[in-house]
Amino acid sequence: MASEGRTARGAPAAHEALARPPIARPSDDEPSPPAAREPTSYPYTTDLASIRAIVQRYAIKAGLSEARAIDLVLAVSEVAANTVRHAKSPGNLQIWYDAHEIVCQLHDEGTITDPLAGQRQPSLEARGGHGLWIVNEVCDQVELRSDETGTTIRLHMNLPPS
Amino acid sequence: MDLLTVSVTARESAGEPYTLVEIAGEADVTNTDELRRLLDEEVAQQPRSLIVDMSGLRFMDSSALHALLRVNRSLDRQGGVLALVSPQAAVAKILRLTTADRLIPVFDSVAEAAAG
Repeated sequence: MASEGRTARGAPAAHEALARPPIARPSDDEPSPPAAREPTSYPYTTDLASIRAIVQRYAIKAGLSEARAIDLVLAVSEVAANTVRHAKSPGNLQIWYDAHEIVCQLHDEGTITDPLAGQRQPSLEARGGHGLWIVNEVCDQVELRSDETGTTIRLHMNLPPS
Repeated sequence: MDLLTVSVTARESAGEPYTLVEIAGEADVTNTDELRRLLDEEVAQQPRSLIVDMSGLRFMDSSALHALLRVNRSLDRQGGVLALVSPQAAVAKILRLTTADRLIPVFDSVAEAAAG
């Protein structure tokens, strides 16, 4: 499931898509989108518990099941933990959702140099490296863009049909 | 309010002593150092059995998991055993996902864990 997402809509598309969040643009013949479609920004430093609480709230509101909400909270927390560990700068979380998916995007000024970060399962003996692997396991799609100016990771979770 | 609370008690089951560590709250990268320090203190006492009651733990990330895996390795080297008790859904998920639950035994109650 997650790996399909990566190969089908992986890194090359992510580069374009990650340039800006898809802000909902109501056209004349469309009703205004619900407020939650607009990305909301939550800056964070080490207050990961509040970030988790925010994601949990959005996940349930968007219609994720409890089990999938647990997955999304875990994924966001692991990405934000990388900010705390490596970035030495505050991070920023943006959340939006529509009828089909909920998306959490995290940005910080750190750089991930390993292009395969999180793609392989580390052994339980390893000292680290489980974070991004977990993120890839639990999310339906993960987009990652990193260069010397910073890292943006976008986590997608499909919503059940209502 | 502390995000994470850890309390330790020495107990006995059928004449066998064990150390009970109760972890409550949320364990993540921001308090792993503290968790590791507290667990290391207990490992240094060379318990035969160290039981971690997780029933009050709402969340655990991969850095806290690493702290537990490290405890498991240290105890193993000195002939002790680590057991986990009553993980909530989010904690059970990361244990299952990383297959840590195949390495460290997980029980439904402290009594079961103490009975081995």
